[in-house]
Amino acid sequence: MRRYFRLHRIFIAQYLKKLMEYKVDFLLGAIGLLLTQAIQIMFLGIIFSQIPALIGYTFPQILFIYGFSLIAKSLDHLFTDNLWMVGYRIIRKGEFDKYLTRPINTLYHVIAENFCVDAFGEILTCALLLGYSIPKLNLPFHWYTIPLLIVVVIFATLIYTSLKIMTSAISFWTKASGHITHMLYMANDFAKYPVSIYNKAVQTIITYVIPFAFTAYFPASYFLTGENPLFCIGGTVIAGTVMFALALFVWHKGLNAYESAGS
Amino acid sequence: MSRIKRFFRTYRPFTRAGMQEMIAYRANFICFLIGEILSAFIMYFVWKAVFLSSDSETFMGFTMEDMVVYLFITFLTGYLTYSDGSFAVGEEIIDGSIAMRMIRPCSFEMCFLFQELGSRLISVSMIFVPMVAGVEIYRYAVSGSVRFQIGYFLLYILSLLFAYMISFYFNVCYGFMAFFFKNLWGTTLIKETVVGFLSGAIVPLAFLPSGLAQVLNLLPFASLSYTPVMIYMGMYSTSQILFSFGLQIFWLFTMYGVTKLIWRSAVKHLAIQGG
Repeated sequence: MRRYFRLHRIFIAQYLKKLMEYKVDFLLGAIGLLLTQAIQIMFLGIIFSQIPALIGYTFPQILFIYGFSLIAKSLDHLFTDNLWMVGYRIIRKGEFDKYLTRPINTLYHVIAENFCVDAFGEILTCALLLGYSIPKLNLPFHWYTIPLLIVVVIFATLIYTSLKIMTSAISFWTKASGHITHMLYMANDFAKYPVSIYNKAVQTIITYVIPFAFTAYFPASYFLTGENPLFCIGGTVIAGTVMFALALFVWHKGLNAYESAGS
Repeated sequence: MSRIKRFFRTYRPFTRAGMQEMIAYRANFICFLIGEILSAFIMYFVWKAVFLSSDSETFMGFTMEDMVVYLFITFLTGYLTYSDGSFAVGEEIIDGSIAMRMIRPCSFEMCFLFQELGSRLISVSMIFVPMVAGVEIYRYAVSGSVRFQIGYFLLYILSLLFAYMISFYFNVCYGFMAFFFKNLWGTTLIKETVVGFLSGAIVPLAFLPSGLAQVLNLLPFASLSYTPVMIYMGMYSTSQILFSFGLQIFWLFTMYGVTKLIWRSAVKHLAIQGG
């Protein structure tokens, strides 16, 4: 374990050197993400200029849920962005052989190789949203709120990462699966709004099948109201654990099925 | 006449290549399409909640029915006028294969255009009819009367064609950014967000402060999405339609001119570098 932490530091240092070469390019990615979020929030602002509450949720509450949804998303983006490349390029171009010859875990190696600083655009938006909404909300606060938050964030991020591992691992069989990861990634926008705006079918899917609701809405609603801790927090922990176990299983199955691309 | 024939003979293979590429990567295309439709549905649910929470039947002049038509026709318009030119040009600039374009006996942007038309033909044939039919069935179910008007529909298609051409030339111009920046993902994300906003694809321009909306209406971006959608919905009067077609043609020529200018100076720039 200690060895992996040391390795990770070296990987990040290596990446930061690469980054120095393209300083402006880093900013472009972060600005792009910041702009995307800013326009979405402006859209919410326009809606709330006309109505006092969206099915019972006030503007600061909606912003809190939205901001909360970005915590797990941005952390996953920051640390595991290289998984996208597995589905888009690494397998198809036969570059995966490299990872198999190294004396470290393949999944860890793929993930550690890249450190996606673009995600700071999302992290900044998230900080602004939570910083704006929290003082306006009367959130219940206990000694265990912060430790709970940390646990929830870890498991919520695991949900994202696991889904990305699974969809990337499909490319071990099909050579390319970036489009499947993309499709799933578009679906995570469902997490940004209270689940009660969706119909029953969508609610069931994002709770029990692809548990995006546990990356944002459920834990956020616990921190908003203090109600239902067992389902909201426990559900996130269970969903994260189950997803991660499944992801590891699929990845290892895939490794066994992997045969290098000819070209 | 023979010149036109030769023109099409030159570029037809590119169209065929585009179609074949699309068919070869059909799984990619279908997953991409589903992902995009999902985001349209998220917006649908958000708007449904907005109308449920509102006391009035309309939201800044739009009924729920208008809003649904707006959402899905905007989605369709955006999908059909989407042009990959900026990425394709950018990648060629970064890996240097753009140099090959200069020694070929055909116009560089026409090759891109005809190749993309091939792939567009496939996607039009797959999504256009189901999408329009879906929207019209919804309208009929909600209002109890047929709202589809063939005149507006034909004008919409014409406007859509102009929108695609403007989008194509705009994207080729934007692709030249790769001469300066290497992060194509970042520049593309910025472009898509800004264009999405300015073209009214995220928020209808009518919802913005009226001064801002008037300015945005004149910019080329409104011609990409807002104009065709408003025509489809029958929200524009005859004079507004004529004016917006004029504007679309104006922007098309402007974008075309700018592309030619940049390309000419880019060729010189590359020549100085020694190719």
